[in-house]
Amino acid sequence: MRSSARTTLAAIALVAVLFAAPQFYRSEYVLALGVSFATFAVLSGALNLVYGYTGLLSFAQVGFFGLGAYAAALLVTERDWSTWAAVAAGGVLAAAAGLAIGYSSLRLSRHAFAIVTLSFALLCMIVARDWVTLTRGAMGIPGLPVPVLGLPGGASWRLAKPLDFYYLLIGYAVLAHAVIYLVVSSRIGRAMRAIKLNEELAQSQGLDPLAHKLLAVTLSAFLTGVAGGWFVFYLTIVDPSVFDFYYTETMLIMVILGGPGSFWGVLASCAVLTVVPDLLRFTTDLRMVLYGFVLIIAMLVLPGGLGGWLERRRLARWRKAATRSRT
Amino acid sequence: MDPTFVLQLVVNGIVIGVIYALIAMGLSLIFGVLEIVNFAHGEFYMLGAMAAYFATTDLGLGYWSTVALVTVGATCVGVVVFEALLGSVRRESFERSILLTLGLSMVLQNGAVFLFTTTPKMVQGSYTYTNIGFAGMQVSVLRLFALGLGLAAFAALYAILYRTQVGRAMRGVSQSRDAAVMVGIDPRAVSRLAVAIGIGMSGLAGAALAPVYAVHPLMGFSFVFKAFAIIIIGGLGNVSGAAIAALALGVLESLIGGFLPQVFVDGLAFGAMILVLLVRPQGLFGRGVRV
Amino acid sequence: MRKLHTAFGAFLLGVLSGLSNAQSSAPISIGSSIPLTGGVSTFGQHSRWGSELAVAEANAAGGILGRKIEIDFQDNRCNPAEAVKSVTQMIADKKYVAIFDGLCSSAALAIMPLVERAEIPFIIANASATAIAEKSGVGGNKWTFKVNPTDASMLDALVTWLMKENKAANIAFLGEDTDFGRAGVSGLQAALKKHNLALASVDFYQKGTADFTTVFAKLRAQKPALLALYAIDADFQNAIRQWYGAGGGIPLTGRVLVDQVPKEIMASGFLDGTTSVQPYDPSIDSPGNKAFVEAFTKKYNTAPILISFESYETTRVLLDAIKRAGSVQPAAIRDALTKTKFPSILGNTIEFDQNNLAHNNAVILGIRGGKVVVLGFSKT
Repeated sequence: MRSSARTTLAAIALVAVLFAAPQFYRSEYVLALGVSFATFAVLSGALNLVYGYTGLLSFAQVGFFGLGAYAAALLVTERDWSTWAAVAAGGVLAAAAGLAIGYSSLRLSRHAFAIVTLSFALLCMIVARDWVTLTRGAMGIPGLPVPVLGLPGGASWRLAKPLDFYYLLIGYAVLAHAVIYLVVSSRIGRAMRAIKLNEELAQSQGLDPLAHKLLAVTLSAFLTGVAGGWFVFYLTIVDPSVFDFYYTETMLIMVILGGPGSFWGVLASCAVLTVVPDLLRFTTDLRMVLYGFVLIIAMLVLPGGLGGWLERRRLARWRKAATRSRT
Repeated sequence: MDPTFVLQLVVNGIVIGVIYALIAMGLSLIFGVLEIVNFAHGEFYMLGAMAAYFATTDLGLGYWSTVALVTVGATCVGVVVFEALLGSVRRESFERSILLTLGLSMVLQNGAVFLFTTTPKMVQGSYTYTNIGFAGMQVSVLRLFALGLGLAAFAALYAILYRTQVGRAMRGVSQSRDAAVMVGIDPRAVSRLAVAIGIGMSGLAGAALAPVYAVHPLMGFSFVFKAFAIIIIGGLGNVSGAAIAALALGVLESLIGGFLPQVFVDGLAFGAMILVLLVRPQGLFGRGVRV
Repeated sequence: MRKLHTAFGAFLLGVLSGLSNAQSSAPISIGSSIPLTGGVSTFGQHSRWGSELAVAEANAAGGILGRKIEIDFQDNRCNPAEAVKSVTQMIADKKYVAIFDGLCSSAALAIMPLVERAEIPFIIANASATAIAEKSGVGGNKWTFKVNPTDASMLDALVTWLMKENKAANIAFLGEDTDFGRAGVSGLQAALKKHNLALASVDFYQKGTADFTTVFAKLRAQKPALLALYAIDADFQNAIRQWYGAGGGIPLTGRVLVDQVPKEIMASGFLDGTTSVQPYDPSIDSPGNKAFVEAFTKKYNTAPILISFESYETTRVLLDAIKRAGSVQPAAIRDALTKTKFPSILGNTIEFDQNNLAHNNAVILGIRGGKVVVLGFSKT
């Protein structure tokens, strides 16, 4: 009880800091970083849910991201939907895609799932580029209108400034993480972890692995799709580069470094990896080479990431305390 | 429908198919023996082409000596990659191996971009502009060379797998690793050889094609995803299945591309793969995905 | 007495150094957002070289308004998300008087709202999307300027030329599936429609495609009168080689990069009969161009391409505007830009219309007798 109260307090403090930060740093650059951090936080958090907690290596996240983005953009520009509804619909569409992919390939094997998710992401990019009558192809859909959101109480919020998008995306990231936290600390979350550790054993205990895996995939797809919708309204343009493999690589590094299955670890590594590369001003090529090395070394030496290492130390200390108390 | 046209499409398709086969067979072999999906496979194809470019331009070597040199070099690189990286990954951690090879691919691809820039490099050789025309069709002589090399490589691989002791050992490990260990096969030695051959074949493809296509650091990226689709269609780990699927894909892509918009060609490989996974998950030729 | 001399000497030195410091302090800063890494980094490199050459020449002539010019480059990877991030960072970092290029259309489109908010002029040298000019100038984004002509206008000039030689009736199109290629198709179709004609067929390939043999076999079987090719970079090299391997037989048109055809193929006469339109060609025989090509080749050990020229000339337009504005206030520079009357190396005067779009000459190029020839210029 004590530690979860501490966690809640820390979480509230963090959220307060994030919302208050723009008052002290009146720089558009900090806001841009904040938006980037919020978006990647949702992406890596969702990937963590699927890969870290449930053990399914999925490359489809970027596909869901772009699917939600294009759906939201098209519904607003072609069908005059309100931005709330369009972004939500984008999330639902992404979730449906996740369900379809998951259901068809999870029955086969994890190998198949990994490769199918990869192909899904590639297929999304190909469709975005080739189906020009729908997506305007490589030219993308520029000039996305300023979202006007209706708030409870009749007021409306015009997101015309980067500050508005900062609040929106940080707010959404907090919400998404709250949802993820609730899921992973509930029975469902424990079931997912059990399935990751040993699927047959979990099944023999009466857990339904397929249902839990599908839940993880669908939920992460929804969260990612909605993030995609908001992100492209911030950019005011959506084009096939939203499916870039670069997003997949970055998300993976964030999860691996932070530790698959470690809620706070992934969040922390996301923050570090959003801010530090910009500070260091490496060229992108060198940065990706560095990420590649980090990935290789992590896989060879430290597969649990930072979160896993901290967890092992905590267990070691607990073990020491337990054996000591026995004597 | 002009028969010469269709024939030209088929001939083109066979050449492309053999190239796909060279890359897919190596990938399939590595998966079969080590159960590792080698994300970096396309990068070795690219490095082979880069090495061929430098060998031809800076060292002035001819086509055949370049191909021989690069193939031998790639095989050695394969041994190094195995010893340094792949040998220590345990079989059960499939995700780890994918991420490991993904990391390797990121290092190689972006490192190449950093070192060599994305400016395309064209290899100029004595054969570059030589064509052979027959029956109203035209084929570049370099493509015929690549076709020949591909067939030779396939024949050599077949000979190794079915006529030698070590090849039999590879097939054994691919069927069941535990049983192979029980009969005294050293899986590590077999794995090392499989990786060496697989990467060697990638390098061979790169060197053979360096004078045909523009050489640049991103050239492996598009091939490798098609190679994944091919090995799923053929059956993961099934080398001859991969070769046949590759050839079929090459010819089909060519025929479809001749009559329909390009978008159908791009989606064909992935569409076929998804279809196979839904209808016949073990691949068209079996010994497919292990659950 | 000696102490006084020393003191006076020190004082003089101090004053002189202080003066020279004031002279060289505070250079005028221009920010450039281009793809330094990623798939089109070659173009980013040439854009950089072009602007750097213009800036170096201006500095060698004493700078502008008595101050040196400096230009900072940030990578946008040809990607709107990167462009927004990097340009936001640039604008927050430092006082730039103008932002340059974008290069890729989607990046430029994403930068446009940023410069409007920051009230800094944005001058585009290379991006091809027609949407850019449509959204700029009167009634739109007043801070964005585009110097390179639209593809639609260049293709209009090309089609008019082809009509004179009676060749426009049966044109097949093959282009890359990007902004650039799609602008080519729509431009050609619009231009042909004016003469009641249409394209015979339209084919796209994905950027990075290595193999064109299938689509070439299909096109040769179709036997159009002309093949409009919209390919760049590695794809262009592959395509030309494979076209040669396939036997050719159909003259090329569109925006063929005649200055990048491999020497052997050019010399063999295989591509004779090609008619292409470009905003520039290094072989243009004018003293201004010769000087530019010579200076560029000397400094960078490679010949300039279209991108390098466009960046060079656009940077000079910007520097001219700063000089005429007489101040480094972005608003003043913007006003000066609207009144630009800059003599282009192509022989025309660069002026901006009410959509902040310039209408420089396009060059109609041909390959005849194994060589590139300038067939004529055309207003866009």
